[in-house]
Amino acid sequence: MSETVTFKLNGKDITVSKGTTVMEAARRENVEIPHFCWHPGLSVAGVCRFCMVKVEGRPKLEIACNLQATNGMDVKTDTDEAKSAHKWALEFHLVNHPLDCPICDQAGECGLQDYYMSVGKYQSQMTRPKVLKPKMLDVGRDLVLDTERCILCSRCVRFEEEVTKTGALGIFDRGDRAIIGTYPGEKIEHNYQTNLVDICPVGAFTSRDFRFKQRVWFLKDKPATCPGCSTGCSVDVFGKPETRSYFRIKPRKGEANGHWMCDKGRHMYSHLNQDVRLRTALTTDTKGRRHDTNFAGAIEDLGKRIAAVNPATDIALLVSAQHTSEEYKSLFNFFVQELGVKKVFQWREPTEKIDSFDGLLYRGDHNANTRGLQNELKEAGFATEVKNEFDFVAGSGAKIVIAITPEIPSTCPSLEKQLNHLTELDFVSFWTSAGSVGDNKKSKHALPMKGFAEKKGTFINHDGKPGKLESPFPCPVVDGRDITEIVAALKSWRHSHGSR
Amino acid sequence: MGDTFTKVKITTAFEGKPNARAIKTYVDNDGYAGLKKALGMQPGQIIDEVKASGLRGRGGAGFPTGMKWSFVPKDDKGAKYIICNNDESEPGTFKDRYIAECNPHMILEGMIIAGFAIGANKGYIYTRCDFFDEIKWLETAIREAYDAGFLGDNILGSGFKFHIDHYAGAGAYICGEETGLLSSLEGKKGQPKLKPPFPAISGYLHRPTIVNNTETLAAVPWIINHGAAAHKTMGTEKSPGTKLFCLSGRVKRPGVYELPLGYPIEKLIHEDAGGMLPGYNIKACIPGGSSAPILTAEELKGLTLDYEAIAAKGSMLGSGAIMIIDDSMSMAELLKVTVEFYHHESCGQCTPCREGTGWLANIMTGIMAGEGKKDDLQRMFEISRNMEGKTICALSDAAAMPTKSIVTKFGAEIADFIERGKRA
Repeated sequence: MSETVTFKLNGKDITVSKGTTVMEAARRENVEIPHFCWHPGLSVAGVCRFCMVKVEGRPKLEIACNLQATNGMDVKTDTDEAKSAHKWALEFHLVNHPLDCPICDQAGECGLQDYYMSVGKYQSQMTRPKVLKPKMLDVGRDLVLDTERCILCSRCVRFEEEVTKTGALGIFDRGDRAIIGTYPGEKIEHNYQTNLVDICPVGAFTSRDFRFKQRVWFLKDKPATCPGCSTGCSVDVFGKPETRSYFRIKPRKGEANGHWMCDKGRHMYSHLNQDVRLRTALTTDTKGRRHDTNFAGAIEDLGKRIAAVNPATDIALLVSAQHTSEEYKSLFNFFVQELGVKKVFQWREPTEKIDSFDGLLYRGDHNANTRGLQNELKEAGFATEVKNEFDFVAGSGAKIVIAITPEIPSTCPSLEKQLNHLTELDFVSFWTSAGSVGDNKKSKHALPMKGFAEKKGTFINHDGKPGKLESPFPCPVVDGRDITEIVAALKSWRHSHGSR
Repeated sequence: MGDTFTKVKITTAFEGKPNARAIKTYVDNDGYAGLKKALGMQPGQIIDEVKASGLRGRGGAGFPTGMKWSFVPKDDKGAKYIICNNDESEPGTFKDRYIAECNPHMILEGMIIAGFAIGANKGYIYTRCDFFDEIKWLETAIREAYDAGFLGDNILGSGFKFHIDHYAGAGAYICGEETGLLSSLEGKKGQPKLKPPFPAISGYLHRPTIVNNTETLAAVPWIINHGAAAHKTMGTEKSPGTKLFCLSGRVKRPGVYELPLGYPIEKLIHEDAGGMLPGYNIKACIPGGSSAPILTAEELKGLTLDYEAIAAKGSMLGSGAIMIIDDSMSMAELLKVTVEFYHHESCGQCTPCREGTGWLANIMTGIMAGEGKKDDLQRMFEISRNMEGKTICALSDAAAMPTKSIVTKFGAEIADFIERGKRA
């Protein structure tokens, strides 16, 4: 048991473990203390001077972020003195701020705007020309920096020092001429740079990818688990359901990732947008002519073909590891348990270095559910290890190959080559969201799949910890289904056509 | 006025002596006697003696020196440091360089004694980079002290080890703030550190560190040598000892004066310094460096130079830099150079200081350009009021205090200037 202290926060007794700051305690109690420089994932800088609180018996206000709670301390966040300090601290922050909200991407999720409404609401007294600073600086692949909007909270500098330990950023010059920047000749090159956009409380760092695409108040965010690698970061996916489009992914605090996520993961929305997706189901008639069809048409075609063969010898499953455990379970239940399929192959990227790890979050296994697939394979009676069995499919003698492709093409450099290879076989039913399957004239059968943001389920990460998908967006592709839904449709087709 | 004030010189004892800076001159005149005595005492005794002497920090804040030393954890056997803050940059102040000019060994002896008292084996002198001669003199003195066995691994056969290195700053005012100095000494950008922890617990390289002003350390050998009681006979009850005062402005004899605390300011100006130059009258006085609130000529009447008396008038003794403002000077100009200085020197990490000093300077630029507004003075007062006590270090206060006092006491003159500026 760690030692605890009890102190008063706005009159209420609160017990916290020794060493807890008033800021941390207040957050736990949902008492808002305005702040810019403090961030739960970074060291205390104590420079914005915004989080002023009154401690009874002390002459001056103190900053809550560097104030450890002690027994009997009587802290108030809402005295007139504290409120006036908050208002003035905000005013100081805004004296030289360009107030270019109408063209700023941060508008709508900006600390300056939010605090102006909650603790500011003053008439500006600034009557002089403002300090002008460099804008639109190229400081990294995914970043654009506007030093005029910057409030010099130093979160980004501390992130570079403490999290990525790259130390690429510094504060140069002094006083109101101080600017954030990279050291001469250097740029931010690591895989975590968009975190700087997240932690920047204002619009100084903006994301090159997201800039000018969408006003944030039009976006809906839903919690999910990043599908980009086996770490399984907790994320929020931001989309616009009205237009069935996705715009960005941000980290959500989670056990696997803390406060951060990598830039690769940030792009895990782009394969979900309609322009790159397979949008219709495909079938091929007896004369070998290919048709776009609807979901029911494709199920009927596949159902008939399955009914015409001996599943044990003639059907093979080729399964990638980017889908949920629930989907794999229903897949194996139907094909292995019910139909008796014996040929089940793992589909993996041949160039992958599964054990590589950058020390922070990003892993060499670019499949969110390698562990989940292994578990379900085992459950279905296959003793397996993780290996690429793609090459075994062609020689397996199967007349029907169900190819469940990786969801995210960007994680599989060999995918196009593999898809081409598969189209050479007798009959492959692609269960996929990749638009290139439809573009390939040799594809004979395809069912459009839902993306990770559009279904419920579980990924098991490298550590065996579950990551949930539980709040789906509507699928932009009308006929998009997940594996469970496709299997259910096949089952019901079989039942209605008299076979068991 | 009766001449009851002590004539004892402590930190300027070698003023005017031939070959004053040489170690021989120092040793021949009781130099390093304090150290010899200290090495025979218990470290705790030394701290008690300095506490009893009532010596207060001479850099500006006036914090009791012995108490500061006692904050260093006694049971910590790891590295500890003594830093001599010789980064004298408060506008109007030119006393620490004068000590190095009179006799730099006094500073070294004070550091070695302080080191012995707190259990430090390493000291650094951090000198303002513009003091070219003083840097040379200090470095010569360090070499002499090593050669004479006052510095090294076994000082005077006592087994006590103490080394001193000398560093020159790079010209930033903020590096005179003790934690700003430490950041700079560590090779970082000169920015004050967040407190707590205080340097006595976690300072240079996160180790217990005492940063003392040059004048403070230079007074230590005398106190050890003559005893706390002798020190207490000088000055006032709460401000014992002597202090260096840097008198500037249009007086006949400006310069450094070592005087007992509690000395009447009028006596200093009119007797010691010979009064004002012909044709000039005192309009105002900044008693403790540019950060100290300004006093009117009226407020100088009967004022004595000690921490309490000046504080009672709403200002501060500060570094002892007494700047006489005469009736030929424009208060608008004075306010402008003051706020511009702090604007230039703010390190920029705390928002109220970074933006506040810039805002004040920005408003003054407008006033000087004839673009002043009627409510500018009221605005400057409000800005200053909200800069005070809100930041990591005292630079924000240092800009706010003179601004508030000048716009309060000389607001009419500046308001008139704003009006005339507009017409011009």
